This record gives sequence, C-alpha cells and structure tokens, in this order.
Amino acid sequence: MIPSLDLLLALAFGNLGLMLLAGRNPTAGLLSMILYALQGWVLVMLMPALAEGAASGLAFQVFGWSLSWELNGLGWFFAIITVGAAFFSAWFAAGAWGVQGTRSPWAFHVTLAANVAAMLLLLASRDLLTLFIGWELVTWAGYAMMIQSGGPATRAAYKYLIYGVAGGLAVLAAVVLIQVQAGGLGFAAVAAWMPGISTGMLWALMLLLGVGFGIKMAFLPFHRWQAEAYGESPGPAAAFLGAISSRMGLFGLLILLVHFIGLARLDELLLPLIGLDARILWMWLSALTIIIPTFIALKQNDARMLLAWHGIGQGGYMLLGVLVGSELGVAGGLLHVFNYATYQAVLFLVMGAVVYRTGTAHLDRLGGLITRMPLSYVAMLFAIIGLAGLPPMNGFVSKWMVYKALLDEGLPLLFVAAVIGTLGTILSVFKLIHNVFLGQLRVEHEQIREVPFSMWGPMIALSLIVFITGYMPGLALDLVMVAQTSLGFAALDYHLGGFVTDTGNLNMLAVVSVLLLGMGIGAGIFLLGGNKSKRVHQLDNYAGGHFLTTEVRYHYSHHFYAGLLRLIGPWYITLIKRLEGGIAALTDTLAAGSDGLYRTAYTPILMLAATVLGLALVL
Amino acid sequence: MNPEILIALPLLAAFLLPAARRIDASVGIWWGPLVVLANLVIAAMAWWKVQLIGPQSIALGGFAAPLGIELRADHLGLSAAVLLNLAVLLLWPRETPDKARVSTILLVLTGAGCGLAMSADLFNLYVFFELVAVATYGLAAANGKGEALIASLRYLILGALGSALALLGIALVYAKTGTLNLTELGGMSEALSGPAGIGALVLMVVGFGVKAELFPLNNWVPEVYAHTESRVSALMAGIISKLGILVLLRLIAEVFGGSPGLEFLLWVGVLGVVTGELAAYGAKDMRRVLAYSSIGQMGLVAVALALGGETGFIAALILMLNHLLVKPALFLIADAWPGSLKALAGKGRARPLGAVLFVLLALSLIGVPPLPGFWGKYLLLDAIFTNVTEGAGLLVGLILAATVVEAAYFFRIAARLFGSGEAAEESKIPGLPAVAALFVIAFLALSVQTGRVGDYLKEVVHGLQPQELRMAQSDFPDPAASVNGKGERL
Repeated sequence: MIPSLDLLLALAFGNLGLMLLAGRNPTAGLLSMILYALQGWVLVMLMPALAEGAASGLAFQVFGWSLSWELNGLGWFFAIITVGAAFFSAWFAAGAWGVQGTRSPWAFHVTLAANVAAMLLLLASRDLLTLFIGWELVTWAGYAMMIQSGGPATRAAYKYLIYGVAGGLAVLAAVVLIQVQAGGLGFAAVAAWMPGISTGMLWALMLLLGVGFGIKMAFLPFHRWQAEAYGESPGPAAAFLGAISSRMGLFGLLILLVHFIGLARLDELLLPLIGLDARILWMWLSALTIIIPTFIALKQNDARMLLAWHGIGQGGYMLLGVLVGSELGVAGGLLHVFNYATYQAVLFLVMGAVVYRTGTAHLDRLGGLITRMPLSYVAMLFAIIGLAGLPPMNGFVSKWMVYKALLDEGLPLLFVAAVIGTLGTILSVFKLIHNVFLGQLRVEHEQIREVPFSMWGPMIALSLIVFITGYMPGLALDLVMVAQTSLGFAALDYHLGGFVTDTGNLNMLAVVSVLLLGMGIGAGIFLLGGNKSKRVHQLDNYAGGHFLTTEVRYHYSHHFYAGLLRLIGPWYITLIKRLEGGIAALTDTLAAGSDGLYRTAYTPILMLAATVLGLALVL
Repeated sequence: MNPEILIALPLLAAFLLPAARRIDASVGIWWGPLVVLANLVIAAMAWWKVQLIGPQSIALGGFAAPLGIELRADHLGLSAAVLLNLAVLLLWPRETPDKARVSTILLVLTGAGCGLAMSADLFNLYVFFELVAVATYGLAAANGKGEALIASLRYLILGALGSALALLGIALVYAKTGTLNLTELGGMSEALSGPAGIGALVLMVVGFGVKAELFPLNNWVPEVYAHTESRVSALMAGIISKLGILVLLRLIAEVFGGSPGLEFLLWVGVLGVVTGELAAYGAKDMRRVLAYSSIGQMGLVAVALALGGETGFIAALILMLNHLLVKPALFLIADAWPGSLKALAGKGRARPLGAVLFVLLALSLIGVPPLPGFWGKYLLLDAIFTNVTEGAGLLVGLILAATVVEAAYFFRIAARLFGSGEAAEESKIPGLPAVAALFVIAFLALSVQTGRVGDYLKEVVHGLQPQELRMAQSDFPDPAASVNGKGERL
C-alpha cells in the first residue's frame, strides 16, 4: 500500500461500509480502531508530500464543474486530530461500553465512521464546491451522531440541525455568489480574485461565510445550540464531537479570514460609525466567545453540559491566537486546537465512564468517586489542569503563547479578557472534580468499581499525551508548524521544550523539572520530617459541632459558588434565547397564516386577485 | 413507428374500452395497463430514435405547419412522454369502485399528456391541456369517497376558470400575431412585446399555473392530495403538475424569453416557495405536509423558469426530475404510516428501511449535496445571481429561509419516526412498497449519474429552440433585462 490521499479516503469510507455491515459484531470496535490507526499511519506517511499537496485521483464532472480533492498542510493538521480523536473514542466503545453502555453500538460505530469520512473529505477540499459538499456531509453526519441516544438528545440535535442548515445555506449562497462573480471556485483562484472586490461585496461574503462557519464553531452569538447537542450525545460520541467537530468551523474561518481575505485586508475594513476594523471586531467576538460561554458553564449542574459549554469558550482562544497574526500567536492558536482536543476528549470519556457506572452526570448526585474509580480520577485531574491552562499540562503552553502574543502586539485589553475566561475555567473545573470525585461517597455508589481497561485505557493514554505534550510541547509544535506554514505564516522558532522569541522564551522542560523538584522537596520534608497526619475514615466527620452519623452524608455540592453567582447572576442575559423563541413563534404564526391561506373556501377570488395584481405588476 | 401513435393509441383505446368491456368484464382490468405498456414501448423507441437522428417535426396529415397541425418529436417532448407513460403504469390506482372507468380516465390522460408534450402550437397545447385537466378532475374523485369528491369539485372550478383565462391569453396572442404555431411565434417576439403580449403571458401563467401548482392557484392541492389514494396523489404531484410546467417551459423558451411578464411568474414562484414551506411546517398530517412541500418545490421550478437562460432552464428541469422521483416515493412510503404526525412516534423503528429512505429523499428535497436536489438549488441560485442584479439578495434570502423551514419540518418528522413510541405492532406496518422501491432506485441512479443526466438536460434545453433560431442567436435571450429593466418594457 502506497500512502496517498486515495488510500486515506478508501480506508475512511471502507470503515464506514464495514461498520454498516458489521457494526453489531462485538469485534467492530477493535476493527474500526485498527482502521483509524491505519488512517493515522497514512496521514503520518503523507507528511513529506504536503508541501506540494497530496492530490486524490478521484474526480467527478457535474454540470461542467470538476470535483477533486487535495490535502494540504492545514487540512492535514486537522485530519490528524480527527483520526486521533476517533481512535480513542472507538477504543472507549470497543469493549464493555459497546455492549452495555449504549442503546446501539452499531449506531455509534457507523456514525463515528461517517463523521470521520465526511471530515476528511471536507479537510481535503481544494475548491469551494467540494468544501461545501464536505461541509454539508459533516453537518448531517454530526446530526446522526447526536440523535442516537433519543429522548432529550433528539430535541438538542433538532436545534443543532436548524442552526446547521441555516449556516450551511449561508455558505451555499456565498459559494454561488463567488462562483458567479469570480468565475471559478478553486481556493487559489478565489484568493487571487478577493483583493480586487469592493468593500461592500467583501462584507457580504464575510458575513455569509463567517456566519456559516461561525455557527459550526458556536461562535457568539450562535452559541446556544452546541452545549446541549454535544452534552446529550453518549460518552465517546461527545468526546469525539467535543474534541474536533466544531473545529471544522475554525478550519473554514481560517480559510476565509487568513487565506481568502488576509489579515492585512481585515485591518483596512473599517466598521462604519465605530471606527473599529474587522480584525479587532473578530478578536473581540472571540474574546466574548471565551468569556460568556465559560461563565455559563459555571452555572451548569450537569457535568457534560459544563464541559460542553467550556468547549465553546475554548474555541475563542484558537481564533484569537491566529488573528493576532504573529508567529507566536498563530502557533499558540493552532496548538490550542491540538491540546484542547486531547483534554476535552479525556473529560468527556471520564464522564462517559462515570455515567456508565452511576447512571448520572448530575453534579448534585455524585461525589467521592475517587475511592472507587481512582484511574478515572487521575485522568480527569490531568485533563482539568490542562483545561484550566496551568502547568505542567499542555493547555498551559498554548494559552501562554496566546497571552504572550497579545501582550507583545500591544493588545492588553484582549489579554485581560482572555485571562478572565481562564479564571472562570479554573472555578468551574474545580466544581467539576470536587462534585464528582472528591467529598463523600454516596450510599448508592458504594458498590461500584473502576471501569474496565477498554474504558480507562484511552482515558489514561490521552491524559499521558496531555502531560507529555505539556512537558515537551515541541512534539505537538511539529504538527502545528505544518499547518502554520501552509497558511502562509512564518514558522515559529521552537525546540522540544518550548519556543524562543525576541521578547522572551519558554522552556517547559525546565518549568516542569523545577515544579517536580519543588514537589519532591516538599514531599521529602513532609515524609522525612515526621509525618504527623492521621488517617480518618471519609465518614468520620462533624459539622458545626454536631456529630454526623454515617446515614447523613455531608458533601457540599448543591448551589456551588452561591456567593459568586449572587454577585454575577444579574449579568447573565437571555437576549439570544428570547430571540430564538421569537423567531420560532414568528415561524409558527406565519405557518398558521399560510395554512389558512390554503384553506380558503373562495378559491376563485384568489385567482382573480392574482390575475389583476399580476397584470398591474407587469403592465 | 411514428410518434403520433403515442396520442392516437391511448385515446382510441379509451374510446373502445366501454364497448370492449361489454364483451368480457375482465377487459376493464387489463386493457388499460396493457395499452399504456405498449405506449411506453413506442415512446421509448421514439425517444431512442431522437437520440440517434435528432429532433424531428411532424406535420399531421401531411399539411405543412402554419395550416396543419405540427407535432415536435424532440428531446423534451419524448422524455416527458416516456416518463408520463412510466409513471401512469407504475402508479395505476387500486382503490376504486369501477376499474374500467378509471382505466378510461388514465388512457385519456396518457394520450392527452403525450400530445401536450409534443404539441408545437398553442391551440393544440390548449386542447390537450384541457383533456388532461378533465381526466385529472375524474382521477381526483376516483376513489369515490365524499371528501375526494368535494376536493375534486374545488379543483374543477379552479381549473375551469383557469382554462378560460388561458384561452383568453391564447386569443390575445392570435389577435396580435395571426398564428399559434410556436416556431412562427418565436420569430415574432417583438409583436408580443407590447401590453397585449405581456398580458397574454400573465393570463396563460395563471391558466396553466392551476395544474402546475403555482401560488395562489393551488388551494386545491392540499385538499385533493389529502383525500385521494396515495398513488393518485403521487401521480398528480409527480408528473401531472410537471405537464403544466412543460407548457410554460415551451412558451418561455420559444416565444416569451425576456418578456417583462416573467416578473409575475418569478414572484408567483417565490410566494409559492415561501407559503408552501411555511404551510407544510404548520400542517398536522403527513399528506398535507407532502402536498404543501410539493407546492414549495413547484415554486422553485417557477422561479428557475422565470429566470430562464441555459442555467435557469436546466435548474428547472433537474428540480422537476428530482421532484418527479422523490415525491411519489414519499407518498407511497408514507402510505404505510398513520396520517397524523403525532401518531408517527416510533414507527420508523419497527421497519427502518422505509423511514431511512424517507429521510434520504427528504434530504434531496432540502438540497443536501451530493443528491440531485442540491444541484437544482445550486443552479437556481447561480441563475439568480447571474440574471438578477437588483434584489437578488432578497430572492436568495427568501428561498434559503424557506429551505431552513423545509429542513425543520422534515426532520421534525424524522425525529418522530425514530423517537420513542409504541413500536409494538410491528406486523401491521408493511415494508417498502415495490413501486416506491422502483422510484427510489431511479432516484439513486439519478444521484449517481447526475453528471450524465446534466449533460443530457443541456442537450434538451438546446433543443428547445428551433434550429434556425439557435443559429441566429448565440445564446438564449438574456432575461436579466426583463426582470430588472422596468424602463424598457412595453
């Protein structure tokens, strides 16, 4: 087998076919894991060929347009994360979860394979028509994945669908407009045509494509669909969707803003009246996308919703970093795509494991699981440190790069906004791990055990990646540079431990070594200098002078951060929610009106009116 | 064999049927389908002949065109004839108190439809159109139920008034030009560029629009489709509505290209899309949803037709072809389920094949790539952005907003089908009807071979104008002027 894009697509679609036929078989998970691993191998082997672009031999002629595919560095970077996320999700589902954890393992394996195949097709697009085809396939494959657990997931997926279809049609309108105006659809041709177009046309295209791609990324103000849709999906499906699905929107936005329009042209596009330029507008939207969903996450009582709301916020860092435009910022933004995928997958997998064992993800109904599921706890601990962006995990590196790039480029207010987002993240991930794993175990959970290897294996493997790429970010930056140079930016000066810039550098090898050394010294003093601590049972406890019997559990989880929420509670607004409701009500009203129109008894009157009005219109 | 047999054979058979039936009662059952089958074979052979030697003009009885009756055996006409025969054969009604009577109706419909597809002059178009209309009035009431009779009466009144208006339009054309032959009219478009010509176009759009389900002449659609047998609904939505469009297509391509009257058709189409999709969103039972969706799709076709040009006509044809295959299949698949949308819960789980295909076909109506409906919508948007300079954004916005509504109601249904519900009575739900399977197979073939079909449709569109005219004009008249240039009209 010679590695090529054709082989990659053949493996992806072959996997889809195989899962359709044999998805019910207990070995289906293992089989698809092998196929994802093979796809990953093909991608790695394709790396040297990316400079010229790895073209596919597939070609179709439809209505005079030729459809063909070619993978470049940017697509490759996203593709490798996609295949990786699919591999670990399939692993999680390969064993016990596939047998008992889901209504239909067949549905899971098929939709996962469909999503991967659709995403690879999208990422390998070389013109706007193939991009749109891939885009729609990704939208519908995502819908199929979200809908599989039924019940509340159906409603969430329906909402996603309405947003997704609207976004897709906005993209379609832009694609046709470009085709008519530019006379071609190839990325290179469009990028060459863009500089000559009028400002009004540019705004129109940016609005259409920006809304279309932004919806997939749950960019503000289109953020309301995502948390429910991802959160209600079954564990490994949520892990896959959370890790990579909405990054397809980022892929589109990067092509639009960086490749087509160019950051320099964005600077020239001034907003009327306010005087802000389009780049700053996008950056502030990114910053708001970081802050608002993160603080909505803080309020959630369902662990999966909390994670999903965070996923929306984290997307903001990625676009913010890239829009800074310096080597450091772009590298930071793209590195965050990779880092985020790793820890978000762990978090959803851990919650999938918790749901598998306890049947709930409600933060008021869990607690103390550390004694029963220690491996899951360790995986979550690693991942939340990554999500919060603290050393020594990988999330720290990418966020640090974005912060530093913002300060270097003289954007302190955006830096503050990004830090406020991180603050909210730290608060809510503490709530998450405390309410699920710390505190006292509930009576009904005393009998549960750790999940089997098929489920903790991927969690632990991924959390090791979270640590290792935090310790040695150069490993991940190898991948990032492929995308960065493909986007037309200069490469960052990096090494295994971090990066070097004119204004400073970061060496995680040193940072983590010092951190571990400090922890080692502390532990040494503690252990050698006479350990005075006394082990007590979890339930050997008292409150306000009262002894608590073992019947009364004392785990503070309800109304977490009540004080803080009392302070910031009035700041939460429901404008977008009301707008959504308004549009739905308007549609209902118009629908009832149209239905009534078709039920009129005196039909010839309408015919007469149409004739008279028609004649009046044209004569 | 000569294409005029396509008209003569079914009409003769329809005429003979009442007599033949007296000899043996069973004749009423097999006579009709057999004749249509024979007609299908003849149509296919004629179609193949056109592929080999190109379009031909036939002068009936040996009289030349201006005086005699001209039939045109071209790509469009014979493709339509083949599809009509095929659809009638596949969708032969079953629920009827009198099989022989329905056979007569369908034979008249087939013969008149073939005539309509091949007619090259306005008078014959009108006559055949009227014959088709009369046959469908009967067809709508064929199951003998009270509701169907009332719906059919509603249809009859509207259709009859429409025909009168269309006849008025034709009379205007005749008064202005002195001929009704389309080839000759094609050379006299300046005579029809005045108010009388434009008015004639509007009147004909209204008249023929009743059958083509154009807004607001389509109030009969939901009533009729909701109460007839699903096969009849499938037949009417699938092919008979396309015959109305076919008349308009010939008129616009050959005579009225670039007429300001097309602006009327454009807005009628847009309003049809918007109101049809919205009404489908509000509808509570499956038959009405499909009927309203049909109105929306025909609205799209009307918009494409009004924009014209090669892109617009191809868009119209591919949208029609898509709808022709998809809608009958949807009617037949939905036939196995209860009518009320509320009762659909869980029905897809019992027999998933039908439900999955329902979703797939709905996706094509919505316009999801790479299904054929997508290419239709893409070409339609292409035609709008190319031909309309002012208000293109509004047009596209309305059509795409209606598409979102379309996706919303179809996937509300899909979610119900696969949602939880009492899926217990599995045995009561039949699988996929064989005829629906045939339509689905044809649809899949179209999806796979969209490229080739697209090439053929291009040839069809190129064949629409007479040879000498095509030589004279490098391309079709640009309707951009008609849609925008209000200053130059009259």
